Amino acid sequence: MVHHVMGVPGFYPWLLALWLLPLLGAIVCFAFGPQLRRVAGAFASAIVGASFLFAVICWGVGTQTVGGALGAHQVLFSWLPGFDFGLLLDPLSLVWALVITGVGCLIHIYSIGYLEGDRAFARFFAYMNFFIFAMLTLVLSDNFVGLLVGWALVGLASYFLIGYWFDRPSAVAAARKAFVINVVGDVGIMFAIILIYSRIGSLSFGDVFANVDKLGTATLLAVLVCLFLGAAAKSAQVPLHTWLPDAMEGPTPVSALIHAATMVTAGVYLIARCAPLWSASKDAQLLVGTIGGLTALLGAVLGMVQWDIKRILAYSTMSQIGYMIMGVGIGAYEGGVAHFLTQAFFKAQLFLGAGLIIHALSNEQDVRRMGGLAKKMPFAFWAMLTAVLAISGIPGFSGFFSKDLIIYGTLANGHPWLYAVGILTAGITAYYMFRLFFITFFGTYRGDVDPSSLGIRHPELAGVASAHADAEHLHMSGWVMNVPVAILMVPTVFSGWLLFGGTHSPWARFFVSQFAQIRLPAAPISEGLTSVLTFVLVLAGITVAYLRYATPSAQRNAVERLRRETVGMPPVLSNAFYFDAALDALFVRTSQWLGYLAARYVDPLVIDGGVREVVISTQWLGALARAFQSGLVRAYAVLLVAGAACFIAYYALAGGAR
Amino acid sequence: MAVLVLVLLPAVAGALLFLLPRDDVRASKTIGALVALATIVLAVFTRHQQFSATWLTRPFVSNLHFGATSISWWIVLLLGIATFGAILATNVSRTRSFIALLLFLEASMLGLFLARDLLLFALCWDLMLIPVFLGLIHWGSHPATAWRYFIYNFAGGLLLLLATAAFGLSVGTTDVIGGTGVALVGPWVPWIFAGFAIAFLVKTPVWPLHTWMPLTYADTPAPMISVVAGVQSKAGLYGFITIGMVFLPEMMRAYAGLFITLGIISLLYGAVASLVQTDAKRVVAYSSLSHLGLILVAIFSFNPIALVGALIYIVAHGLFSAALFLGLGYVEEREETRSLVRLGGLGAANPRLTGALCIAVLAALGLPGLAGFAGELLMLIGIFAAGFAWAAILGLVAVVLASAYFLRLFQGMMNGPVRPDLPMRRDLTWIEALAVVPLLLALLVLGVNPHPLTTFNTAPYLQSSGGGR
Repeated sequence: MVHHVMGVPGFYPWLLALWLLPLLGAIVCFAFGPQLRRVAGAFASAIVGASFLFAVICWGVGTQTVGGALGAHQVLFSWLPGFDFGLLLDPLSLVWALVITGVGCLIHIYSIGYLEGDRAFARFFAYMNFFIFAMLTLVLSDNFVGLLVGWALVGLASYFLIGYWFDRPSAVAAARKAFVINVVGDVGIMFAIILIYSRIGSLSFGDVFANVDKLGTATLLAVLVCLFLGAAAKSAQVPLHTWLPDAMEGPTPVSALIHAATMVTAGVYLIARCAPLWSASKDAQLLVGTIGGLTALLGAVLGMVQWDIKRILAYSTMSQIGYMIMGVGIGAYEGGVAHFLTQAFFKAQLFLGAGLIIHALSNEQDVRRMGGLAKKMPFAFWAMLTAVLAISGIPGFSGFFSKDLIIYGTLANGHPWLYAVGILTAGITAYYMFRLFFITFFGTYRGDVDPSSLGIRHPELAGVASAHADAEHLHMSGWVMNVPVAILMVPTVFSGWLLFGGTHSPWARFFVSQFAQIRLPAAPISEGLTSVLTFVLVLAGITVAYLRYATPSAQRNAVERLRRETVGMPPVLSNAFYFDAALDALFVRTSQWLGYLAARYVDPLVIDGGVREVVISTQWLGALARAFQSGLVRAYAVLLVAGAACFIAYYALAGGAR
Repeated sequence: MAVLVLVLLPAVAGALLFLLPRDDVRASKTIGALVALATIVLAVFTRHQQFSATWLTRPFVSNLHFGATSISWWIVLLLGIATFGAILATNVSRTRSFIALLLFLEASMLGLFLARDLLLFALCWDLMLIPVFLGLIHWGSHPATAWRYFIYNFAGGLLLLLATAAFGLSVGTTDVIGGTGVALVGPWVPWIFAGFAIAFLVKTPVWPLHTWMPLTYADTPAPMISVVAGVQSKAGLYGFITIGMVFLPEMMRAYAGLFITLGIISLLYGAVASLVQTDAKRVVAYSSLSHLGLILVAIFSFNPIALVGALIYIVAHGLFSAALFLGLGYVEEREETRSLVRLGGLGAANPRLTGALCIAVLAALGLPGLAGFAGELLMLIGIFAAGFAWAAILGLVAVVLASAYFLRLFQGMMNGPVRPDLPMRRDLTWIEALAVVPLLLALLVLGVNPHPLTTFNTAPYLQSSGGGR
């Protein structure tokens, strides 16, 4: 079989260094945690920073084209023929590597401040460095098995970090839920691997993409559905999204890095990586595009009715990834990947901004108990404002460019329904983000208001922190937390301009070789008109949010309004459309019931019945057993083994060696 | 000759332990651990050596023939590492006798896996029951469990002996293991196969012959059960590969549907039963039923990749079940309970124990990057390629269930609020940690690249019928 290698083969020390350095950092932080103490944070941040530097150094080899081969390919080792492992750096993986290490480094630095004084400070940074290593493994692998290894290891890092405060039962349960749902996705990718290997006999991307036709239409669709199962679990697509809101049990920097900026976008990477497969199956594209659109809409709808600031952002992440999946799903790869880039900046900033607030209010996460923070926390106000403008898609800010590219792409590829969903969701997004913004920063501080007057019935269940901050003595963050947020503000605002200029934009030219074969046809509605339509809905969303939460009268009656909204919430929304209950009843309860059936009834009654009769009827065996217990055992054992040894030795010597 | 020394060394050393003072725990453990290390070294150097001496000529030829095959060599190494760990981890009353038993157990299993003669194989099969039986009688809490273990496995052993005798009578020799296939013909073939198969199924065990296993695994002291679950449970699978696939391939293929069905039932039955156990050791016991069921399916799919996967998984399962049982033993020693209802919150005070158990659990649930995954993936690829797509899909369902029950086990012990009613003793000593570290390291190394295990020649095991001799 002729092997098709992607990338220019060679020895790339910087690439190896950028990949392995975070693993080294994780091992050092684990092994020498007690010795490193507070230095662990700075050490781990420096490691990721160095990794980022190496990624920048690798820019040249990552974008090189030599004789049709794009990027750099580093051979590692082989399990057996067809299972060859290596690293592949091309524009697609380069973008991911830069974001993982770049945004990762900023969040590492921020965490130094956020987790100051935590009991297991070094362990936290060990997990964080391990996550960076796992994520790099995922995006740098040149084959499906390596990708799956990275895929599972990021899930593991996520499990560790969601359950970081492992004495909290809610965190432990959330970690397990996230892990098991992600294993469902891993298993999907495993089955895709099984199918691919049975038809093609190799698992390296180059071989597989060069032999797409060997798969046949039905198998190709099966492969893509299985791969998408993996993508859906990792990227929180309906109906496998239920772990993401619960994952907010982890420390806020973890939510920013793993559950917003990088890991949850792995599904987008997988689809963009397998673009040659996806582009060969219209059915798969329709399926993925539809699920993506549905997730975008559902996440936005649920984002409108949350009270926990991190859960609002979690549903918003789910919705934004829905956009990305919709984009790469229907073939708008550049748009989907671009939205990954801009979302990584503004969503990380949103979470870190929320972290500033949570930190200042001593772990208060309920927006009903915030309010009036604009004056008290001007830096957080500006950080949140720029990010909210970016995610809402205000022209000029980063989210505007990438979101419009996806929405336009859906129409260009002939999916008018997805186009409508994209525009509608943009409006809802603007509404719930400004709702968050107004409730948090406008009006007066409500932390000292009795929770029940806000409609919070069970404060301890609603995530209301027990230790309330005194409004006058907020726990203000230092430079170590503010500087990363300030740096993130730059790309949050400006990174969208990379996409400006259509096919001549820097972004399009960067990816010209990657997605060259996939060009979008023109759509019946122009790109400019799409932007106008979207913007009108965005403005409508902001206006509704303003009227409900930010007019002077609404600010005055905020407590009463929030109470009414809480009490009047329809159960179907407060239970998030009952996805959790349905999955629980269908899978968890059923398998437990089968387990009880097997262990409590089948084993003892059906299978064992006959055997027990034998054992009981031979009561004399019991007497014999007691004899053994009374000290005879040693003598017996010695006799037995000595006898056996003599027996064997006799024949060995008497028979003579051949 | 060196091979014979390898087999006899642990037995002789075990007997000599009784010359030591009864209460010198340290000396017993040191000598035991050194002997286990010595068997590893000897095994490494005798990979391609054999020892053979004439034993019987009538009614059929049978020789005292020892020597590793390309498959059994790995299991012998696994046995050495597992025994080393078990001896270091031993913390029971009458330590000297217990370590002697562990060494006898190692010797009998070395004999089994190094045997090139079927009769020798069958004798060692029975011999290796005795240390476990004595361990259960002496250190277990229910004599009935010991008898149940013994009755099941001795019945299996008896069938094995009868089948071996019939094999010897119809072929004329039993000195066949690791050689080329012998054409087995005649009316006795189905009965010979049935004898071997039932013995192997009981030992593994496979549903519905498994009910001795959860009791035995729960009641046997942790160091001994780590060797039994890790290595002894592979005897049946090893038998299917080196005897069944080579000498009875037609019977194996004819009844493949039945065995694959039993394997799949074990796989799912064990998985759902694990989900609801409250005894930590029984969770791992049922998980073993599940995992070994998958290996059975892989063997009976007669596919080279599945066979490579089966060998990797045999080694990986040995490594992680040994590590798991040692870890559960440490927990039980410290907190005086194995109940997942009572345990909880051990993580904060026991970082080393938590880390060790965590790696073992992750390997067991098939985390990519650790050895269990490599074996599982290759087995499933081979099973699918052999045309058993439904079995591969159900195997994947079991992977999801495994993540659920293993995390339930791990989190139930290590996470959650600290329980004030538990003694909460100190973390692992470095010797206790040393017992599990080699197992975990091997899981990591083989997980990243299982290449050493993938290069053996699968052809002798995959021929369509036994060749001439």
